Amino acid sequence: MKIKNLKTKFQFFIFVLFGYLLSANNAHAMHISEGILPFNWALFWSVMAVPFVAWGLYRLKKLSSVDLSFKPLVGLMAAVVFIISCMPIPVPTAGTCSHPCGTGISGILVGPAISILVTAVALLIQALFLAHGGLSTWGADIVSMGVMGSFAGFLTFKLLRSMKINMAIAGFMAGLFADWATYFTTSVELASGIRGDSPFMPLFWKILIAFIPTQLPLGILEGAMTAGMVMLLYKKRPDLLVKMKVLKQEEVAI
Amino acid sequence: MELFSEYFKKGHILSKIDARVKLLVSLTILVMVLSYKAFVFPLLVLGLCTLLTLGMKIPLRVFLLRVSQPLFIASMIVILKFLFSGNDALFSLHIVGIKLSGHKDGLIEGLKIASRILGATSVIAVLGFSTPLTEFIAGLSWLRVPRGFIEVLMFAYRYIFVLFEDAMVIYNAQKNRLGYSNIRRGLVSFGTLAGSLVLKAFEHSHNITVSMIQRGYDGNIPMLKHKPFSLSEVFVSVLLISAMGVLWKI
Repeated sequence: MKIKNLKTKFQFFIFVLFGYLLSANNAHAMHISEGILPFNWALFWSVMAVPFVAWGLYRLKKLSSVDLSFKPLVGLMAAVVFIISCMPIPVPTAGTCSHPCGTGISGILVGPAISILVTAVALLIQALFLAHGGLSTWGADIVSMGVMGSFAGFLTFKLLRSMKINMAIAGFMAGLFADWATYFTTSVELASGIRGDSPFMPLFWKILIAFIPTQLPLGILEGAMTAGMVMLLYKKRPDLLVKMKVLKQEEVAI
Repeated sequence: MELFSEYFKKGHILSKIDARVKLLVSLTILVMVLSYKAFVFPLLVLGLCTLLTLGMKIPLRVFLLRVSQPLFIASMIVILKFLFSGNDALFSLHIVGIKLSGHKDGLIEGLKIASRILGATSVIAVLGFSTPLTEFIAGLSWLRVPRGFIEVLMFAYRYIFVLFEDAMVIYNAQKNRLGYSNIRRGLVSFGTLAGSLVLKAFEHSHNITVSMIQRGYDGNIPMLKHKPFSLSEVFVSVLLISAMGVLWKI
């Protein structure tokens, strides 16, 4: 019994080691690579993503009919998310670099619906021209980064602000949960896609735990980055935060 | 950013082909690769795509760079599947009294996934190398992708380069002032950089809207009108897809 436990522990260690290598050396492991998901799973996640992107397009149409500058702004936000998610930041425990999602901040600034659209656009350009993610995994990446990341960031920020929590802390937690929610969903997608005939749960836990060495600190770093961004906007252009309905006018006046 | 434009050389074998045709053929082959149950067909696709890339005069280094990340992930998946999946043990290693087995069925399953990754990545790499985004966008518009999505894509593509330049200026200024000399300062600097990009995005979006309104912008950007399909291109594409379909079926 003891030996069996030891064997399981050793296998688990090897698994975590490979997972660590996989996630630590690939700055873009957040995006599920082209071809990893078999056709049925690729189709499933794409179908899952469609209503969310449609919701984003509906909101875009509605908001841009009132404000002509909204569509260019959404395009530029997509460019910002693209650049942020291409920029390396140091991960101390991994001794290497990884990259943030950027969906936490876009969820806070433009809301989850538009943020999903912004992520979908950024992911498409990355898939086509940088081989980060892919066309077949586009739907899965939209669900993990766009839907889960944006909702986690937006809801966390709103919840904490409604509890009168300091804006920097709310921004930090929003970035943190946006990042972790993305990785949790990515683990579900990967485990379901590559498990073959093996049971889902053991593989899911292995992948989730394998991500911890980089994603635990990376989530904290993304939180710090999101807090920095929110505070910079608050100090330099609070009017923009009011315009984007992140803050109320009276909060700025205070 | 060099991968965006530098290697879209004109005059190669795929540059004159309609983007819609390339898109449809690529998507069809992608579906074939993803739904194939063994590893021969995806590897065949990988081989063909490598030859096409070289035919387009794209340096092999650039192609390998493009597939390097998927290649690494593919190798890891093979190792994971080999060691942790399957029942048919090929060998057993005893390390500090603990048995570690390699499984034949796990290895085969891993190789299937790895070949799928490489085949699919190479198809999209060829599509990316041979099709500038502007043409790709025109293809999406023909495929009835919603107009709002295409317009946001166009704005994003245009402003990636502008914002990237802005980001580089800010980054170099921060670096010169030791903004990345340790992790704490690096984080603060990165937060400032990302925040500044958002501010720049707001500024640019305001400026572009003003200048577009002065030129008659009413909230919609006119799309390119499509030329009719070339019969020879359609014929060659159908022939290619049929041939690939036969290989896929075998």
